[in-house]
Amino acid sequence: MNAVRIAWRITRLNFRAQLEYRSEFLLMIGIGAIWQVSVIVFATVLLTRFTGMGGWDSSEVLLIPATRMLAHGIFVLFLGRMHGIGQIIQEGMIDTYLVRPMPVFRQVQLSVFPTNAIGDLTVAIGLMVGALSRSDLDWTAGRITYLVVCVLGGMFLEAALFTAVACASLRFPAADYWGRWLEELLGTFGSYPLNVLPRAVSGFLTFGLPLAFVAYFPAAVLTGHGHDTGVPYWLAAASPLLGLVAFLGARLLWRWSLGHYTGVNG
Amino acid sequence: MSGSIEVRGLSRTFHTTVRRPGFTGALRSLVQPERVAKDAVSDITFDVAPGELLALLGPNGAGKSTTIKMLTGILTPTAGEARVAGVVPYLERERNARNIGAVFGQRTQLWWDLPVRESFSILRDIYEIPKPEHTVRLQEFDDLLELSTFWDTRVRHLSLGQRVRCDLAAALLHDPPVVFLDEPTIGMDVVVKEQVREFLRHQVEERGRTVLLTTHDMTEVERLAERVVLVNHGRLVLDGTLDEIKKRFGSTWQVRAPLADPHAEAVALPGIALLRREGPKVVFGPDGPDAPAVHQALKRVIERYEVTDIALEEADLEDVMRAAYVQAEAPESRGGG
Amino acid sequence: MAVLHAWRAARVTPLGELYAPPRMTAALIRLTVQVILVASLWNGLYQQTGTTAGIDREQAVTYAVMAVLASRLRELDQYAGRDTVLQHMHFGTIVYWYLRPLAPQRYYALRALGEQLYGFAWALAGFVLSLAAGVVQPPGSAAVAGVFALSLLLGQLVLYYVMLVIDQFCFWTLRNGAAMLILIFAQNLLSGVYAPLWFFPDWFITLSSFLPFQATLSVPLSLYVGRIPLSDAAFQLSVQAGWVLVLALFTRFLWRRAALRIVSQGG
Repeated sequence: MNAVRIAWRITRLNFRAQLEYRSEFLLMIGIGAIWQVSVIVFATVLLTRFTGMGGWDSSEVLLIPATRMLAHGIFVLFLGRMHGIGQIIQEGMIDTYLVRPMPVFRQVQLSVFPTNAIGDLTVAIGLMVGALSRSDLDWTAGRITYLVVCVLGGMFLEAALFTAVACASLRFPAADYWGRWLEELLGTFGSYPLNVLPRAVSGFLTFGLPLAFVAYFPAAVLTGHGHDTGVPYWLAAASPLLGLVAFLGARLLWRWSLGHYTGVNG
Repeated sequence: MSGSIEVRGLSRTFHTTVRRPGFTGALRSLVQPERVAKDAVSDITFDVAPGELLALLGPNGAGKSTTIKMLTGILTPTAGEARVAGVVPYLERERNARNIGAVFGQRTQLWWDLPVRESFSILRDIYEIPKPEHTVRLQEFDDLLELSTFWDTRVRHLSLGQRVRCDLAAALLHDPPVVFLDEPTIGMDVVVKEQVREFLRHQVEERGRTVLLTTHDMTEVERLAERVVLVNHGRLVLDGTLDEIKKRFGSTWQVRAPLADPHAEAVALPGIALLRREGPKVVFGPDGPDAPAVHQALKRVIERYEVTDIALEEADLEDVMRAAYVQAEAPESRGGG
Repeated sequence: MAVLHAWRAARVTPLGELYAPPRMTAALIRLTVQVILVASLWNGLYQQTGTTAGIDREQAVTYAVMAVLASRLRELDQYAGRDTVLQHMHFGTIVYWYLRPLAPQRYYALRALGEQLYGFAWALAGFVLSLAAGVVQPPGSAAVAGVFALSLLLGQLVLYYVMLVIDQFCFWTLRNGAAMLILIFAQNLLSGVYAPLWFFPDWFITLSSFLPFQATLSVPLSLYVGRIPLSDAAFQLSVQAGWVLVLALFTRFLWRRAALRIVSQGG
């Protein structure tokens, strides 16, 4: 529990550091919000213009971007420093972290307070509220629990993906590029029912890049579309578990990569 | 006038906003910022003759980097003027750029992702150096700095020593009469440092370049500089040759003797000052105009103390500088040169 | 003039990429995958819809694919090479820009020119391939092709200036990443790279027409797919040209202020 206390203290300090530059702080909340609003506008624009997407009702489809965005928002808040780790590496901070008695992964997460996450989450919560209110489903305790679990699973899955990219960044400075692309892909394709895409493509986004497990499958299971996703029902339903396992695997990969870290520009 | 540096009454003041602590303080700072003026450089005057190597010394924050930035044209002075090779650097930036080369210690001007030679080619184009001249010069640099062993490597893969050598070559590629070096050998190993010093000496003596060098490395000063300018708190404190400074602030000899009884008290002897104590070792130096000759001092020390060893050393330049800085702090001993 | 002599500076980023084959492969993979994904997405979305917002399926797919290809034009990776203006400011190596007999704005322009030309080669190759594969429709007529080419050129100029403004912000806002992010975001969204602007609500389109971002990509592509008819082309082209002029003056002003800032802070 000492670790939690230390982490909390550092977070508070980081937060205070961000407050130092007031205008910057407010702007960063703003940019987080605006960014997500744009994704929403984009998604809803498409959703309203292209009705009957893959057999999904408009009241149901909104659940996909809502789940994705909420998972992403929590990811950014807790585990988001893996994305864009390139700068930390370039500044040689990893070398410093390696000398301290705290796991490097945690230190990276605690290196700065992600102000934009506040905006991200505000919008995500708003969208989720909107999606839930428009939904015709019967929100039993079981459903709600499953939704919460899936959001957490989505967070872990996104974290796993970005951690994998970060591992590559430890060796190849240009790996940051893939991180940016990953973010783009998750944002663009994570918000649609993937059955509108041809099998090959949706297969890639399921087994190649496990995007589908972040939001599409959970939403499908919740709204009763779980049997037309193209994968066995049990696989779709196990999305959160997959997310957790992927994250644990990514942490192992991280540890291995750190062991082979050769420092920044010799 | 080629290659000379003239500095007259150069001054530079910075205005910074003071950030008040705490929440309300930060708010107040937004609304009513409090500005504070800092005199980074005040009224500095000195000359560097063509073909001379001048060491610009001073503790951290003394204003050395600020002075160099004004002389390279990156910073405009708030008062005074300067001329480098007859050109005023902050007024005629591009013309000045052709006359100077600069290396700022930790920062490289090379392109990170490209092999070093590619950086040289780009600079050759930018400075419009004719190809044959460029080839000859590269060969010369290679002879002195052994660049060809790594100049096909990308800059990101170079070690610090290799990179600074390349930066030096890059700065001199266009044959500038004046060179500014801001702590170029910081962090380097002794072998490379010596190579760089040889290179600099060659540039000054054979090529007649004017070099203004800032450094904290006293061995470097000792080996390269004939003249030294000392600044502190933005003001010029000393301007003179090394010998003059040593004579003024340094002891000409030091006697280092570890005492047999490490806890014995060590007191000064007439004409012999206790410079410092390093555990059991005690260092003595001459004290005042009546200091004895060194052999007398040796005798007196041995007579007075039980020593296990005794060694005679020439005054360390670091000690000299320390004395100079300290004396410079004292109000009566301001100014020099 | 030093500018012409310093042509080697133009090829720095492309050369850096050529020296790192993994980066080129990465770019190639990304482009290919993105084109396939995007084409599939729009084909899928249009399965049950005819024409919407004035764009039919083929137009939408063509637009989306060409937008992906166009992203190559100015998305070369300066960051890994520690070559973004932000990094130069951060590491302090920006001083060297002011120590050379080549004005920083000319140097920057040369670098951008090299990058855009190199990216254009990639985009062109991708375009030809996509055309051959039938993923992208050919232009409606020779007139459309001509107008598109002109509009694309103007659009690239506007893009150059927009990116320049974003970079110039770094001279002031080393601490403030937010202002920069807002600009980048606006450029990404309002240029029509994610989706044709026509799908957005009317108020959005009106708002966007007062900003230069749509002139970079949305206008040329809309002309290409025919969403903007030839009759409107003259007006759109002149709007683009107008932005080029306004931004050229603005960035010139900013360069001067940036230089002042450098010499008052010492880089």
